[in-house]
Amino acid sequence: MAEKLIKELHSKHENHLSRRQFLGSSTLGLGAMALGNLSGCSISSEDELRSNFLNKTGLHHVPKAKNIIFLHMAGAPSQLELFDYKPLLQNLDGKECPPSLLEGKQFAFLEGVPQMLGPQFSFNQYGESRSWVSELLPNFKDIVDDVAFLKAVKTDEFNHAPAQLFMHTGSPRIGRPGFGSWVTYGLGSENTNLPGYVVLVSGQSIPSGGKSLWGSGFLPSLYQGVELRSKGDPVLYISNPENTSRTTRRQVINTINKLNEIEHNSSNSPETLSRIAQYELAFKMQMTVPEATNIKDEPDYIHEMYGTEPGEVSFANNCLLARRLAERGVKFIQLFHRGWDSHGSNDFENLHGGFLKRCEEVDKAMTALVKDLKQRGMLDDTLVVWGGEFGRTPMQENRGGISNPFKGRDHHGEAFTMWMTGGGVKNGITYGETDEIGYYPTKESMHIHDLQATILNQLGINHERLTYPFQGRDFRLTDVAGDVIKDILA
Amino acid sequence: MNCHGGVRANGDLSFLFEQTALLPAKSGKKAIIPFKPNLSELIHRIKHEDPELRMPLDADPLSLDEINLLEKWINQGAKWGTHWAYISPDENISPPKIEGDWGYNGIDPFIFKKMKSENLTPSKLASNSNLIRRASLDIIGLPPNDVMVQQFLSSSEKNSYEIIVDELLDSEHFGEKWASMWLDLARYADSRGYQKDILRPEIWRYRDWVIKAFNDDMPFDQFTIEQLAGDLIVDRSDDQLLATAFNRNTMTNDEGGTKNEEFRLAAVMDRLSTTMEIWQGNTMACVQCHSHPYDPIKHEEFYGMMAFFNNTMDNDNDNDYPKASLLSPNERLMKSILESRLSNFKSNGDSISEDYQIALNEFISIQPNSVPIILELPIDSSRKTVVFEKGNWLVHGEEVSPSIPSFLPEMAQNFPKNRLGLAQWLVSEENPLTARVVVNRIWEQIFGRGIVTTVEDFGTQSESPTHPELLDWLALRFINEHQWSIKSLIKEIMMSKTYQLSSNVSDEQLALDPYNRYLSRGSRYRLSAEQIRDQALAISGLLSNKVYGKSVMPPQPDGVWNVIRHVAKWEKSEGDDSHRRGIYTFWRRVSPYPSMISFDVPSREFCVSKRIRTNTPLQALITLNDPVFVEASEALAHLMINKGGESPEDQISFGFQKALMRLPGQSSLNHLSELYHQQLEQNSSRMNAMKEVASVILNLDELIMRT
Repeated sequence: MAEKLIKELHSKHENHLSRRQFLGSSTLGLGAMALGNLSGCSISSEDELRSNFLNKTGLHHVPKAKNIIFLHMAGAPSQLELFDYKPLLQNLDGKECPPSLLEGKQFAFLEGVPQMLGPQFSFNQYGESRSWVSELLPNFKDIVDDVAFLKAVKTDEFNHAPAQLFMHTGSPRIGRPGFGSWVTYGLGSENTNLPGYVVLVSGQSIPSGGKSLWGSGFLPSLYQGVELRSKGDPVLYISNPENTSRTTRRQVINTINKLNEIEHNSSNSPETLSRIAQYELAFKMQMTVPEATNIKDEPDYIHEMYGTEPGEVSFANNCLLARRLAERGVKFIQLFHRGWDSHGSNDFENLHGGFLKRCEEVDKAMTALVKDLKQRGMLDDTLVVWGGEFGRTPMQENRGGISNPFKGRDHHGEAFTMWMTGGGVKNGITYGETDEIGYYPTKESMHIHDLQATILNQLGINHERLTYPFQGRDFRLTDVAGDVIKDILA
Repeated sequence: MNCHGGVRANGDLSFLFEQTALLPAKSGKKAIIPFKPNLSELIHRIKHEDPELRMPLDADPLSLDEINLLEKWINQGAKWGTHWAYISPDENISPPKIEGDWGYNGIDPFIFKKMKSENLTPSKLASNSNLIRRASLDIIGLPPNDVMVQQFLSSSEKNSYEIIVDELLDSEHFGEKWASMWLDLARYADSRGYQKDILRPEIWRYRDWVIKAFNDDMPFDQFTIEQLAGDLIVDRSDDQLLATAFNRNTMTNDEGGTKNEEFRLAAVMDRLSTTMEIWQGNTMACVQCHSHPYDPIKHEEFYGMMAFFNNTMDNDNDNDYPKASLLSPNERLMKSILESRLSNFKSNGDSISEDYQIALNEFISIQPNSVPIILELPIDSSRKTVVFEKGNWLVHGEEVSPSIPSFLPEMAQNFPKNRLGLAQWLVSEENPLTARVVVNRIWEQIFGRGIVTTVEDFGTQSESPTHPELLDWLALRFINEHQWSIKSLIKEIMMSKTYQLSSNVSDEQLALDPYNRYLSRGSRYRLSAEQIRDQALAISGLLSNKVYGKSVMPPQPDGVWNVIRHVAKWEKSEGDDSHRRGIYTFWRRVSPYPSMISFDVPSREFCVSKRIRTNTPLQALITLNDPVFVEASEALAHLMINKGGESPEDQISFGFQKALMRLPGQSSLNHLSELYHQQLEQNSSRMNAMKEVASVILNLDELIMRT
């Protein structure tokens, strides 16, 4: 059985490759990947040089995950209030931070000698895995045996925008391609009528890293993330203008394509054929995008499960949308939910204010997403990743050397918690440990580049081979680092 | 080079520099012993029978020819050659003699000879209607106006094409087209970048400087010196100071908690990398962290170059200091007129009259803009420049002073060792690269492909030039004949026969030369984001003719700018300002104008030499549904109905000709009328029916392409 499966995958892979070679050698140039079909997108012949590099990409091995849903909690939730339970920190609450923790360290806001801050909420152990979860996630506790906790994730950055860029582009500076751009550039997408890389945003506003988090950087623009907006047109300019019916639109596109065929008869340019295909695809997308994004069709029990309210901008709606997009073969589904920053500097950016509200907003919906994927048999080949761009310090934040008026913590990149499920990741395990106050990792530290390498691995990509030439160098998502963490793989 | 280059030197062996390659490797053996191939380990290893020992590792063995060549090379003494781009062009180069005298000027024999050697036959000339559209799009970025088309198509003058080319080069829209290319290189934007992406509301003055410099045909050497070092020119003018804003287009980081020195250095390194990419086609950014993997540049040489840029006053602070208060040329003129009027009033004793007050108020209302510029630190507070180990700004190595990497020509003694000297060196006679790189950029803008395809990289990893002699010949002419005049260079290219060929392609051409490297036919490529917008507005008569001025905010969907907490609103421009050319559209780095992103504009965070041209369904949705294009179809439909004659067929032909400078063929016309009548049958008004026809015209492949 397994043998047959592998054979099938291999032949798929070969088809994929031969399609590439066809594209590489034909004047259509590189293309057809982002939207996945032969008649799909293309880049004009001037750029055929680059297409040679595409032959290096494509599946490198049999993938465990077909798609990925990445739930990014922008602003960085506190691991010490959610998953990384540190009873000793309670005993140290209010005590001065020992200087050894501060020497030679750079912080975003901590100054002088801050005080330690104990966990603000109570914890309990759940499931067979006996995983610790705080009282703030009453729904999530039910699925702890389905997930792998990564408790010592490490990032190099301690400010929001650079850390988010680091997580999603592999570099703290603006200008590199987003995670999904790399993936769709390498693999294309299953669905011919939807973009392969979709971004869904909820919370205060878009994350501080801005649209560069899903830009295509130096990759061709057809690999950029397409933001599906909750209000107005889901995709910009997808709706016909007033007074233009769908019938008329069909007639208009027919006429455009007939005239383009006539032109092709004299010009003989392959690019013209590609344009004819693009207009057909645009026409289809005008139908499929509104259909895919219309969550009203879902039955009541699903709405109850997720806590969705059609028409609103919410994380819950986006979780449900994520499942619908995964069902339709969208390769990379990126959610951002912003508003987790909890310094304690004002009445919402603190652990008993905005942080608490964010927990309420995500707990039910993210749990429903995992359960829903599981009940549909989709969790086996859908990878779900959850986390912020960094964690929080065990110290109370004290900008200007004075403790903030509310309970809150500063940014902390040494060790923080993320979780993953599905897509060939082990269930009910914890990888990584931190010291008694949750400050430094004590074992199994996982760097962001390791995380990226591991995610790419599950999608069938060798992170060292997914490259693109720019400014004289072959760039990759994981820069010059990254190891696949095999211990968490099933 | 991947394994034995500047980054990886497996077995302690690197072929990058002659000195190191001749040393014994880790094994103790010497890879190369000049004149002695049989003793050289290199030859031994490429011939080895054991695949685990044979080089290159994990790859097919080298062919017999390749091995022979290497043996021959060692036998002859194993001399390290110099990469072609670093050798000065031959002053005596001239167009080759060819059979049959094909062509109009010196460019053509080079092209013809190469084409013949590839067994290609040149296409016929493009039709006049095609040619005038092509020339106009290439020179001013807009379709030709009706008067010009009529004049050209009806003219029997021998030099009518040249007249049109001259007229276009004189147009003040010329600078608007060519500034696009330069602003991508200069990473120009109306905001500061990074997280907050605070607006830079006055930086458009630099954009106008660029447009004007192209319009005035400022010689490229002067254009170079003023942008890189205008502040250091003795008795500099305000405009020369403004030109230095070129290097203030780097990003400023205003996020709380970030270190100013870190981002000041990021900006300084970007200035160095950008300068080297623009003028030398060199990918210097690699060397920030380590020696160049492929080109002979050492790690410390990056910092020697950086020292030229490391002594400026700006330091990533929140007010974008230093700035200069500058009046635009128009404002200066107005101010001086008012000044003399005021003094006239005074001398006539009218200094309390109402007119005097009005003039005085006007005079006061003209206030200069504060534009970020470059200024050098005074000598007593100069910065030291040190090597950053592995590119980490916190780990300091040895101190370095301003110096040019050794693989490039030396800087003449009489040039000052600062930015001014660096700029002078870039355009000096001794530097063979600059003119080649620039000529290649202009060629790429016109033909859609450079003579060196990798316009951004002339290093050892670049594509070899398709026509190396032509590149050198043009580079030398650019300096000597054209005296660094961009307009003369463009004219020379456009007057060639090569430029004027039809872009229709035969099956044979497609098979032999699918990408048209050898130019046996006219080139054909998708128009740029700006051109696609400008063309639709121009054809439909909506385009504002205003040149220069503040960046504008044409309509964009609500919520697009709802990006970050930093308050900045898209304040929709009204009237004419909503129909200005794309070059004037406000450019915010975190959120460039959405329809332009889909047509492949870069976000302008870094220098970009070449835009990639994609063809996607999102582009179709824009030209079909974006309100700008809907408005353009409506306006075009109006023109068709009101000015196109009596019958719908005449009106349709009129609109088609307005867009493409030619009448539609019979079957195209039939399809368009069929659409029109279908709409009427579906109870559309004549206007709405014609609007759909106009929309078809504005979406035709032939229109989206430059053919």
